[in-house]
Amino acid sequence: MALPSQPQIRADDALEQELATLIVEALRLEILPEHIDPSSALFGEGLGLDSIDMLEIALLVSKRYGVELRSENKAALASLRALANHIGQQRIR
Amino acid sequence: MSSGWRHQPERGSRGLMRLLVFITLWVGRPAARALLYPICSYFLLFSGGAQRTSRDYLRRILKRPPSWKDVFRHFHAFASTIHDRVYLLSGRHRYFDIRTEGASALHTILAQNRGCILLGSHLGSFEVLRAQGIFDHKLPITVIMHEATASNLNAVLHSLHPEIRDRIIPPGTADTMLAVKERLDRGEIVGILGDRLFNDEKGMTCEFLGTPRMFPEGPFLLAALLQVPIVLFFGLYQGGRQYDLYFEPLADSIHMNNARRSETLRPWVERYVSRLEHYCRLSPYNWFNFYDLADHARPPRPAV
Repeated sequence: MALPSQPQIRADDALEQELATLIVEALRLEILPEHIDPSSALFGEGLGLDSIDMLEIALLVSKRYGVELRSENKAALASLRALANHIGQQRIR
Repeated sequence: MSSGWRHQPERGSRGLMRLLVFITLWVGRPAARALLYPICSYFLLFSGGAQRTSRDYLRRILKRPPSWKDVFRHFHAFASTIHDRVYLLSGRHRYFDIRTEGASALHTILAQNRGCILLGSHLGSFEVLRAQGIFDHKLPITVIMHEATASNLNAVLHSLHPEIRDRIIPPGTADTMLAVKERLDRGEIVGILGDRLFNDEKGMTCEFLGTPRMFPEGPFLLAALLQVPIVLFFGLYQGGRQYDLYFEPLADSIHMNNARRSETLRPWVERYVSRLEHYCRLSPYNWFNFYDLADHARPPRPAV
């Protein structure tokens, strides 16, 4: 018997949502996590975060996923999606 | 706007800069310094904005209406420190009479292999410390500094000594603070000028010489997040060949209440501002913020 079809959620989508919630809480942003466009820029124009906000995200990611973001991983900080992809590849927890 | 300073086209051409560097290095500092008089006179006559800011500041610090001589002296002190960068960044800092007070605050921290934030300002010169620290004491010191502030001058100066060029982190990029963290983690010193806001930086209004002025929260937030100490630094130009360097411990570690961040950081920012005022009174003509009038009324960053 065929199982009823479920909406497919990719692992990365779930991680993106989890990250969005973490970031909104930690930086006390006045936006709903689900309203963050995963492909738009976190820094500057996009979400309006500054360099210290980016550091806080890095500290958060290190604590939660054991992934160290270094200045040479700048590309991973481009958007929520880039960050989720990077963590997905590197995470140890 | 705090960014106004950077948007001011740097007066003087690269050719003039090269000439001044050439005279300084091949004829001597006194000959080149003679040129600072016509240069400052030109500024006195033609730079309305800078002159207004200077008068406004001098009136408050001197507690009397400033004369044109005061403004000239203010411009001349600024020109002198810019000019001395030629000597300092080319490794000729021993030419100067540099007095140092309180450096043990820094050495104690370095001896423990801890990184530290060296919090300075645009009062006087940071370059004396960079030169002496990097060339003589092999201090691992990097400064957050906007290279574009003086692209002409920096282009010329950095060709003199590349060793010092690599010791700059540009502010306001996504990875600025990650680069800062990496230096601090290695037990190095990161210099930050704490009296000017970069673009969208978080700031708070403090009373400065009787007028509200915006000061960045960033250095204090950084110290709290990374649990590193802050040492204050002031490098004051005293005329002639003399520079006086002052170090003071500000905070060993800052504990921040996450729910009330600005509130918990405020006493530290105010302590910095009060020390800044103290050193302004000590060397009034060293205040080199000429384009920040509008800072006084800058609104906080809008919520996202």
